[in-house]
Amino acid sequence: MGEHPGERGPYLRKGVEVGKDSSETFQGMHSGENLERLMIRYQEGDFSAATVLIRSMSPRLHRFFLAKSMSRADASDLLQETWLRIHKVRHTYRPGEPALPWFYAIARHIRVDHYRKSIRAVAGEKVLEEISKSAPSTPHQTVELDALLEPLSESQREIIAMLKIEGMSLEEVARATSSSVGSVKQKVHRAYKKLRETIGIRDTKKWRSGELA
Amino acid sequence: MKNEHIDELLMKAAGEGQDVDPGVLERIGDSIKPSLRPVRPLPPGWLMAAGVVVVCAAVSLAGAARAGFSGLAKMNVLERSLIFPALGLLACLVAVSFVRQMIPASRVRVSPGGVLGLTSIALFAVFALLFRDYRTSHFISAGIICLLTGLLHAVPAGLLSWLVLRRGFAVDPVSAGMVGGTLAGLAGVGLLELHCPNFQATHILVWHIAVVPVSAAIGASFGWIARYRASSRG
Repeated sequence: MGEHPGERGPYLRKGVEVGKDSSETFQGMHSGENLERLMIRYQEGDFSAATVLIRSMSPRLHRFFLAKSMSRADASDLLQETWLRIHKVRHTYRPGEPALPWFYAIARHIRVDHYRKSIRAVAGEKVLEEISKSAPSTPHQTVELDALLEPLSESQREIIAMLKIEGMSLEEVARATSSSVGSVKQKVHRAYKKLRETIGIRDTKKWRSGELA
Repeated sequence: MKNEHIDELLMKAAGEGQDVDPGVLERIGDSIKPSLRPVRPLPPGWLMAAGVVVVCAAVSLAGAARAGFSGLAKMNVLERSLIFPALGLLACLVAVSFVRQMIPASRVRVSPGGVLGLTSIALFAVFALLFRDYRTSHFISAGIICLLTGLLHAVPAGLLSWLVLRRGFAVDPVSAGMVGGTLAGLAGVGLLELHCPNFQATHILVWHIAVVPVSAAIGASFGWIARYRASSRG
Protein backbone atom coordinates (compact mmCIF):
# COMPACT_ATOMS: atom_id res chain seq x y z
CA MET A 1 0.00 0.00 0.00
CA GLY A 2 1.40 3.39 -0.89
CA GLU A 3 0.48 6.74 0.55
CA HIS A 4 -2.99 7.29 1.96
CA PRO A 5 -5.36 7.96 -0.90
CA GLY A 6 -6.41 11.15 0.81
CA GLU A 7 -2.96 12.64 0.84
CA ARG A 8 -2.25 15.15 -1.85
CA GLY A 9 -0.27 13.90 -4.80
CA PRO A 10 2.31 16.58 -5.52
CA TYR A 11 2.78 15.41 -9.08
CA LEU A 12 -0.81 16.25 -9.83
CA ARG A 13 -0.35 19.84 -8.82
CA LYS A 14 0.50 22.52 -11.27
CA GLY A 15 1.21 26.17 -10.85
CA VAL A 16 -1.12 28.09 -13.08
CA GLU A 17 0.33 30.44 -15.62
CA VAL A 18 -1.83 33.41 -16.40
CA GLY A 19 -2.11 34.77 -19.93
CA LYS A 20 0.87 36.64 -21.36
CA ASP A 21 -0.95 39.94 -21.46
CA SER A 22 -1.48 39.87 -17.75
CA SER A 23 0.90 41.70 -15.50
CA GLU A 24 0.98 38.83 -13.03
CA THR A 25 1.79 35.20 -13.15
CA PHE A 26 0.08 32.85 -10.85
CA GLN A 27 2.67 30.34 -9.83
CA GLY A 28 2.32 28.31 -6.67
CA MET A 29 -1.34 29.01 -6.31
CA HIS A 30 -1.70 26.27 -3.77
CA SER A 31 0.55 28.02 -1.34
CA GLY A 32 -2.60 30.08 -1.27
CA GLU A 33 -1.04 33.46 -0.68
CA ASN A 34 -1.34 34.74 -4.24
CA LEU A 35 -4.92 33.67 -4.54
CA GLU A 36 -5.82 35.22 -1.21
CA ARG A 37 -4.05 38.48 -1.98
CA LEU A 38 -5.85 38.66 -5.30
CA MET A 39 -9.19 38.03 -3.58
CA ILE A 40 -8.56 40.93 -1.21
CA ARG A 41 -7.72 43.19 -4.14
CA TYR A 42 -10.82 41.94 -5.94
CA GLN A 43 -12.88 42.89 -2.89
CA GLU A 44 -11.27 46.31 -3.02
CA GLY A 45 -12.56 46.72 -6.56
CA ASP A 46 -9.33 46.07 -8.49
CA PHE A 47 -10.29 44.93 -12.00
CA SER A 48 -6.81 43.64 -12.88
CA ALA A 49 -6.94 41.32 -9.86
CA ALA A 50 -10.38 40.15 -10.97
CA THR A 51 -9.02 39.45 -14.46
CA VAL A 52 -6.10 37.44 -13.10
CA LEU A 53 -8.48 35.45 -10.89
CA ILE A 54 -10.82 34.75 -13.80
CA ARG A 55 -7.96 33.56 -16.02
CA SER A 56 -6.34 31.43 -13.38
CA MET A 57 -9.37 29.88 -11.70
CA SER A 58 -11.61 29.35 -14.73
CA PRO A 59 -9.71 26.38 -16.24
CA ARG A 60 -9.83 24.62 -12.88
CA LEU A 61 -13.52 25.29 -12.34
CA HIS A 62 -14.24 24.31 -15.93
CA ARG A 63 -12.41 21.02 -15.39
CA PHE A 64 -14.37 20.52 -12.16
CA PHE A 65 -17.64 20.80 -14.10
CA LEU A 66 -16.37 18.53 -16.86
CA ALA A 67 -15.41 15.86 -14.35
CA LYS A 68 -19.10 15.54 -13.56
CA SER A 69 -20.03 14.13 -16.99
CA MET A 70 -21.04 17.45 -18.39
CA SER A 71 -20.77 18.72 -21.96
CA ARG A 72 -18.28 21.52 -22.70
CA ALA A 73 -21.13 23.89 -23.51
CA ASP A 74 -22.85 23.17 -20.19
CA ALA A 75 -19.55 23.51 -18.35
CA SER A 76 -18.96 26.92 -19.97
CA ASP A 77 -22.46 28.07 -19.04
CA LEU A 78 -21.97 26.96 -15.46
CA LEU A 79 -18.59 28.64 -15.37
CA GLN A 80 -20.17 31.96 -16.33
CA GLU A 81 -22.94 31.46 -13.81
CA THR A 82 -20.36 30.63 -11.14
CA TRP A 83 -18.42 33.82 -11.80
CA LEU A 84 -21.58 35.91 -11.61
CA ARG A 85 -22.34 34.33 -8.24
CA ILE A 86 -18.75 34.72 -7.05
CA HIS A 87 -18.97 38.38 -7.99
CA LYS A 88 -22.23 38.81 -6.13
CA VAL A 89 -21.01 37.19 -2.92
CA ARG A 90 -17.33 38.19 -3.05
CA HIS A 91 -17.73 39.97 0.30
CA THR A 92 -18.27 36.56 1.98
CA TYR A 93 -14.63 35.67 1.42
CA ARG A 94 -12.82 36.49 4.66
CA PRO A 95 -9.19 37.60 4.40
CA GLY A 96 -6.91 35.08 6.06
CA GLU A 97 -9.09 32.12 5.15
CA PRO A 98 -8.10 29.77 2.28
CA ALA A 99 -9.61 31.07 -0.96
CA LEU A 100 -9.47 27.93 -3.10
CA PRO A 101 -12.18 26.01 -1.16
CA TRP A 102 -14.29 29.17 -1.20
CA PHE A 103 -14.27 29.15 -5.02
CA TYR A 104 -15.07 25.46 -5.16
CA ALA A 105 -17.85 25.73 -2.55
CA ILE A 106 -19.62 28.25 -4.79
CA ALA A 107 -18.94 26.24 -7.95
CA ARG A 108 -20.34 23.18 -6.23
CA HIS A 109 -23.46 25.12 -5.22
CA ILE A 110 -23.99 26.18 -8.84
CA ARG A 111 -23.46 22.63 -10.09
CA VAL A 112 -25.91 21.13 -7.59
CA ASP A 113 -28.42 23.82 -8.50
CA HIS A 114 -28.00 23.02 -12.19
CA TYR A 115 -28.44 19.32 -11.46
CA ARG A 116 -31.70 19.98 -9.59
CA LYS A 117 -32.99 22.20 -12.39
CA SER A 118 -32.24 19.58 -15.01
CA ILE A 119 -33.90 16.85 -12.94
CA ARG A 120 -36.99 19.05 -12.56
CA ALA A 121 -37.05 19.90 -16.23
CA VAL A 122 -36.81 16.26 -17.23
CA ALA A 123 -39.43 15.22 -14.69
CA GLY A 124 -41.73 17.99 -15.89
CA GLU A 125 -41.49 17.14 -19.52
CA LYS A 126 -41.45 13.39 -18.96
CA VAL A 127 -39.23 12.90 -21.97
CA LEU A 128 -36.28 11.32 -20.30
CA GLU A 129 -36.12 8.46 -22.76
CA GLU A 130 -36.45 10.65 -25.80
CA ILE A 131 -33.74 12.95 -24.59
CA SER A 132 -31.34 10.13 -24.01
CA LYS A 133 -32.08 8.74 -27.47
CA SER A 134 -32.20 11.91 -29.52
CA ALA A 135 -29.61 14.07 -27.80
CA PRO A 136 -26.49 12.16 -26.97
CA SER A 137 -24.20 14.16 -24.75
CA THR A 138 -21.63 16.23 -26.57
CA PRO A 139 -18.26 14.58 -26.37
CA HIS A 140 -16.14 16.27 -23.80
CA GLN A 141 -12.71 15.91 -22.33
CA THR A 142 -11.36 12.39 -22.28
CA VAL A 143 -13.87 9.61 -22.36
CA GLU A 144 -11.36 7.65 -20.34
CA LEU A 145 -11.85 9.78 -17.24
CA ASP A 146 -15.58 9.22 -17.44
CA ALA A 147 -15.07 5.50 -17.77
CA LEU A 148 -12.62 5.49 -14.90
CA LEU A 149 -14.91 7.41 -12.55
CA GLU A 150 -18.09 5.67 -13.69
CA PRO A 151 -18.36 3.18 -10.79
CA LEU A 152 -18.16 5.98 -8.23
CA SER A 153 -21.10 7.76 -6.66
CA GLU A 154 -21.66 11.48 -7.35
CA SER A 155 -20.09 12.56 -4.07
CA GLN A 156 -17.11 10.25 -4.54
CA ARG A 157 -16.51 11.56 -8.07
CA GLU A 158 -16.65 15.09 -6.79
CA ILE A 159 -14.15 14.43 -4.03
CA ILE A 160 -11.77 12.48 -6.26
CA ALA A 161 -11.94 15.28 -8.84
CA MET A 162 -11.05 17.90 -6.24
CA LEU A 163 -8.43 15.86 -4.46
CA LYS A 164 -6.63 14.09 -7.25
CA ILE A 165 -7.34 16.01 -10.42
CA GLU A 166 -7.34 19.49 -8.90
CA GLY A 167 -4.73 18.60 -6.29
CA MET A 168 -6.56 20.10 -3.31
CA SER A 169 -5.75 19.01 0.24
CA LEU A 170 -8.13 17.07 2.48
CA GLU A 171 -8.81 20.18 4.52
CA GLU A 172 -9.59 22.20 1.39
CA VAL A 173 -11.93 19.52 0.05
CA ALA A 174 -13.67 19.28 3.43
CA ARG A 175 -14.24 23.04 3.45
CA ALA A 176 -15.43 23.10 -0.17
CA THR A 177 -17.92 20.31 0.43
CA SER A 178 -19.06 21.51 3.89
CA SER A 179 -18.05 18.27 5.50
CA SER A 180 -15.48 17.07 7.98
CA VAL A 181 -11.99 15.86 7.08
CA GLY A 182 -12.89 12.44 8.49
CA SER A 183 -15.87 12.14 6.19
CA VAL A 184 -13.75 13.12 3.16
CA LYS A 185 -11.11 10.53 4.11
CA GLN A 186 -13.79 7.87 4.38
CA LYS A 187 -15.23 8.72 0.96
CA VAL A 188 -11.77 8.69 -0.64
CA HIS A 189 -10.98 5.37 0.94
CA ARG A 190 -14.21 3.85 -0.39
CA ALA A 191 -13.70 5.41 -3.82
CA TYR A 192 -10.19 3.96 -4.07
CA LYS A 193 -11.44 0.58 -3.01
CA LYS A 194 -14.03 0.70 -5.79
CA LEU A 195 -11.49 1.99 -8.32
CA ARG A 196 -9.02 -0.76 -7.39
CA GLU A 197 -11.70 -3.40 -7.95
CA THR A 198 -12.86 -1.90 -11.25
CA ILE A 199 -9.39 -1.35 -12.64
CA GLY A 200 -8.37 -4.80 -11.47
CA ILE A 201 -11.29 -6.41 -13.31
CA ARG A 202 -10.59 -4.30 -16.41
CA ASP A 203 -6.90 -5.23 -16.42
CA THR A 204 -7.72 -8.91 -15.98
CA LYS A 205 -10.13 -8.76 -18.93
CA LYS A 206 -7.50 -7.03 -21.07
CA TRP A 207 -4.89 -9.56 -20.09
CA ARG A 208 -7.20 -12.48 -20.88
CA SER A 209 -8.23 -11.09 -24.25
CA GLY A 210 -4.56 -10.46 -25.04
CA GLU A 211 -3.71 -13.97 -24.02
CA LEU A 212 -6.46 -15.46 -26.15
CA ALA A 213 -5.44 -13.38 -29.13
CA MET B 1 -2.88 -2.31 -7.32
CA LYS B 2 -1.30 0.62 -5.51
CA ASN B 3 -2.88 4.00 -4.95
CA GLU B 4 -0.05 5.64 -6.90
CA HIS B 5 -1.09 3.62 -9.94
CA ILE B 6 -4.67 4.89 -9.61
CA ASP B 7 -3.37 8.45 -9.22
CA GLU B 8 -1.38 8.07 -12.44
CA LEU B 9 -4.40 6.71 -14.29
CA LEU B 10 -6.54 9.58 -13.05
CA MET B 11 -3.98 12.16 -14.10
CA LYS B 12 -3.58 10.56 -17.50
CA ALA B 13 -7.33 10.32 -17.99
CA ALA B 14 -7.90 13.92 -16.92
CA GLY B 15 -5.60 14.78 -19.80
CA GLU B 16 -4.77 18.08 -21.36
CA GLY B 17 -6.55 20.25 -23.87
CA GLN B 18 -9.38 21.42 -21.65
CA ASP B 19 -8.68 25.09 -22.02
CA VAL B 20 -11.60 27.40 -21.61
CA ASP B 21 -12.65 29.36 -24.66
CA PRO B 22 -10.95 32.79 -24.34
CA GLY B 23 -14.20 34.38 -25.52
CA VAL B 24 -15.96 32.98 -22.46
CA LEU B 25 -13.32 34.47 -20.14
CA GLU B 26 -13.67 37.81 -21.88
CA ARG B 27 -17.44 37.72 -21.48
CA ILE B 28 -17.08 36.95 -17.78
CA GLY B 29 -14.70 39.87 -17.33
CA ASP B 30 -17.02 42.20 -19.26
CA SER B 31 -20.05 41.12 -17.25
CA ILE B 32 -18.50 41.88 -13.86
CA LYS B 33 -16.65 45.05 -14.80
CA PRO B 34 -19.59 47.50 -14.63
CA SER B 35 -20.50 46.46 -11.09
CA LEU B 36 -16.98 46.11 -9.72
CA ARG B 37 -17.00 48.29 -6.63
CA PRO B 38 -15.15 47.86 -3.33
CA VAL B 39 -17.04 45.64 -0.91
CA ARG B 40 -16.74 45.32 2.84
CA PRO B 41 -15.85 41.75 3.89
CA LEU B 42 -18.01 40.05 6.49
CA PRO B 43 -17.18 40.83 10.12
CA PRO B 44 -15.36 38.18 12.19
CA GLY B 45 -17.33 34.99 12.83
CA TRP B 46 -17.34 35.43 16.61
CA LEU B 47 -18.97 38.85 16.25
CA MET B 48 -21.74 37.50 14.06
CA ALA B 49 -22.26 34.56 16.42
CA ALA B 50 -22.43 36.95 19.38
CA GLY B 51 -24.99 39.01 17.43
CA VAL B 52 -27.35 36.10 16.90
CA VAL B 53 -26.99 34.89 20.51
CA VAL B 54 -27.91 38.38 21.75
CA VAL B 55 -30.92 38.44 19.42
CA CYS B 56 -32.14 35.06 20.68
CA ALA B 57 -31.62 36.02 24.34
CA ALA B 58 -33.46 39.30 23.74
CA VAL B 59 -36.44 37.48 22.17
CA SER B 60 -36.62 35.04 25.12
CA LEU B 61 -36.39 37.80 27.70
CA ALA B 62 -38.87 40.04 25.90
CA GLY B 63 -41.34 37.16 25.64
CA ALA B 64 -40.94 36.29 29.31
CA ALA B 65 -41.25 39.94 30.32
CA ARG B 66 -44.63 40.01 28.56
CA ALA B 67 -45.84 36.59 29.73
CA GLY B 68 -44.28 36.57 33.20
CA PHE B 69 -41.27 34.95 34.85
CA SER B 70 -43.30 32.30 36.70
CA GLY B 71 -40.94 29.47 35.78
CA LEU B 72 -37.85 31.31 36.93
CA ALA B 73 -39.54 32.26 40.20
CA LYS B 74 -40.44 28.62 40.92
CA MET B 75 -36.93 27.26 40.20
CA ASN B 76 -34.43 26.54 42.95
CA VAL B 77 -30.81 27.68 42.80
CA LEU B 78 -29.51 24.39 41.35
CA GLU B 79 -32.10 24.42 38.56
CA ARG B 80 -31.33 28.03 37.68
CA SER B 81 -27.58 27.50 37.77
CA LEU B 82 -27.76 24.46 35.47
CA ILE B 83 -30.53 25.25 33.00
CA PHE B 84 -29.63 28.77 31.92
CA PRO B 85 -25.86 28.28 31.55
CA ALA B 86 -26.57 25.08 29.58
CA LEU B 87 -28.98 26.96 27.31
CA GLY B 88 -26.45 29.77 26.90
CA LEU B 89 -23.63 27.38 26.06
CA LEU B 90 -25.75 25.46 23.56
CA ALA B 91 -26.92 28.74 21.98
CA CYS B 92 -23.28 29.82 21.53
CA LEU B 93 -22.27 26.52 19.93
CA VAL B 94 -25.27 26.44 17.61
CA ALA B 95 -24.75 30.13 16.73
CA VAL B 96 -21.15 29.38 15.66
CA SER B 97 -22.44 26.53 13.53
CA PHE B 98 -25.13 28.78 12.01
CA VAL B 99 -22.57 31.45 11.15
CA ARG B 100 -20.39 28.81 9.47
CA GLN B 101 -23.35 27.69 7.40
CA MET B 102 -23.71 31.26 6.14
CA ILE B 103 -20.08 31.60 5.02
CA PRO B 104 -18.95 29.49 2.05
CA ALA B 105 -16.07 27.07 2.72
CA SER B 106 -16.18 27.42 6.48
CA ARG B 107 -14.80 24.57 8.52
CA VAL B 108 -17.65 22.20 9.47
CA ARG B 109 -17.07 19.97 12.47
CA VAL B 110 -20.61 18.72 13.12
CA SER B 111 -23.27 18.17 10.45
CA PRO B 112 -26.57 20.11 10.74
CA GLY B 113 -28.35 16.92 11.79
CA GLY B 114 -25.65 16.34 14.38
CA VAL B 115 -26.12 19.86 15.76
CA LEU B 116 -29.85 19.24 16.15
CA GLY B 117 -29.33 15.80 17.68
CA LEU B 118 -26.66 16.91 20.14
CA THR B 119 -28.69 19.95 21.20
CA SER B 120 -31.79 17.84 21.85
CA ILE B 121 -29.81 15.18 23.73
CA ALA B 122 -28.02 17.78 25.87
CA LEU B 123 -31.32 19.43 26.80
CA PHE B 124 -32.85 16.05 27.56
CA ALA B 125 -29.93 15.17 29.85
CA VAL B 126 -30.13 18.44 31.80
CA PHE B 127 -33.91 18.33 32.22
CA ALA B 128 -33.96 14.59 33.08
CA LEU B 129 -31.35 15.24 35.75
CA LEU B 130 -33.27 18.09 37.38
CA PHE B 131 -36.96 17.25 37.12
CA ARG B 132 -38.31 14.15 38.86
CA ASP B 133 -42.05 14.77 39.06
CA TYR B 134 -43.45 12.11 36.74
CA ARG B 135 -47.13 13.02 36.92
CA THR B 136 -48.81 13.65 33.58
CA SER B 137 -51.82 15.85 34.38
CA HIS B 138 -53.05 17.92 31.39
CA PHE B 139 -50.22 16.38 29.39
CA ILE B 140 -51.61 17.11 25.92
CA SER B 141 -53.49 20.36 26.50
CA ALA B 142 -50.72 22.03 28.55
CA GLY B 143 -48.08 20.58 26.26
CA ILE B 144 -49.56 21.97 23.05
CA ILE B 145 -49.82 25.42 24.60
CA CYS B 146 -46.13 25.31 25.56
CA LEU B 147 -45.08 23.99 22.15
CA LEU B 148 -47.00 26.73 20.35
CA THR B 149 -45.71 29.43 22.71
CA GLY B 150 -42.14 28.24 22.18
CA LEU B 151 -42.58 28.17 18.42
CA LEU B 152 -44.24 31.60 18.37
CA HIS B 153 -41.06 32.98 19.92
CA ALA B 154 -38.73 30.82 17.85
CA VAL B 155 -40.07 32.32 14.61
CA PRO B 156 -39.10 35.95 15.38
CA ALA B 157 -35.79 34.76 16.86
CA GLY B 158 -35.04 32.89 13.64
CA LEU B 159 -36.05 35.80 11.42
CA LEU B 160 -34.02 38.32 13.41
CA SER B 161 -30.99 35.98 13.41
CA TRP B 162 -31.28 35.67 9.66
CA LEU B 163 -31.41 39.47 9.48
CA VAL B 164 -28.14 39.66 11.42
CA LEU B 165 -26.53 37.18 8.99
CA ARG B 166 -28.25 38.40 5.83
CA ARG B 167 -24.96 39.42 4.18
CA GLY B 168 -23.79 35.82 4.34
CA PHE B 169 -24.37 33.25 1.62
CA ALA B 170 -25.59 29.76 2.40
CA VAL B 171 -24.30 27.27 -0.16
CA ASP B 172 -26.77 24.79 1.31
CA PRO B 173 -29.90 26.72 2.37
CA VAL B 174 -31.62 23.63 3.80
CA SER B 175 -28.74 22.90 6.19
CA ALA B 176 -28.45 26.57 7.10
CA GLY B 177 -32.19 26.71 7.72
CA MET B 178 -32.04 23.63 9.93
CA VAL B 179 -29.22 25.02 12.08
CA GLY B 180 -30.88 28.45 12.22
CA GLY B 181 -34.12 26.76 13.25
CA THR B 182 -32.30 24.85 15.98
CA LEU B 183 -30.93 28.11 17.35
CA ALA B 184 -34.34 29.76 17.17
CA GLY B 185 -35.81 26.72 18.94
CA LEU B 186 -33.34 27.28 21.78
CA ALA B 187 -34.71 30.81 22.10
CA GLY B 188 -38.18 29.28 22.40
CA VAL B 189 -36.99 26.81 25.06
CA GLY B 190 -35.34 29.70 26.92
CA LEU B 191 -38.64 31.54 27.03
CA LEU B 192 -40.48 28.43 28.26
CA GLU B 193 -37.98 27.88 31.06
CA LEU B 194 -38.40 31.47 32.17
CA HIS B 195 -42.16 31.43 31.91
CA CYS B 196 -43.64 27.91 32.33
CA PRO B 197 -44.30 26.90 35.96
CA ASN B 198 -45.21 23.32 35.01
CA PHE B 199 -42.28 21.25 36.33
CA GLN B 200 -43.62 17.80 35.44
CA ALA B 201 -40.71 15.90 33.94
CA THR B 202 -42.64 14.40 31.01
CA HIS B 203 -44.11 17.82 30.12
CA ILE B 204 -40.68 19.41 29.95
CA LEU B 205 -38.92 16.44 28.34
CA VAL B 206 -41.52 16.09 25.60
CA TRP B 207 -43.10 19.46 24.92
CA HIS B 208 -40.36 21.93 25.80
CA ILE B 209 -37.65 19.99 23.99
CA ALA B 210 -39.98 19.39 21.02
CA VAL B 211 -39.72 23.11 20.22
CA VAL B 212 -36.13 22.55 19.02
CA PRO B 213 -36.71 19.83 16.37
CA VAL B 214 -40.00 21.38 15.20
CA SER B 215 -38.32 24.75 14.83
CA ALA B 216 -35.38 23.10 13.01
CA ALA B 217 -37.85 21.44 10.63
CA ILE B 218 -39.53 24.80 9.98
CA GLY B 219 -36.11 26.37 9.34
CA ALA B 220 -35.14 23.58 6.94
CA SER B 221 -38.47 24.06 5.12
CA PHE B 222 -37.77 27.77 4.72
CA GLY B 223 -34.34 26.85 3.36
CA TRP B 224 -35.88 24.38 0.94
CA ILE B 225 -38.37 27.01 -0.29
CA ALA B 226 -35.57 29.57 -0.69
CA ARG B 227 -33.52 27.07 -2.70
CA TYR B 228 -36.49 26.11 -4.86
CA ARG B 229 -37.33 29.73 -5.59
CA ALA B 230 -33.73 30.60 -6.37
CA SER B 231 -33.36 27.70 -8.80
CA SER B 232 -36.74 28.43 -10.40
CA ARG B 233 -35.66 31.99 -11.09
CA GLY B 234 -32.52 30.85 -12.89
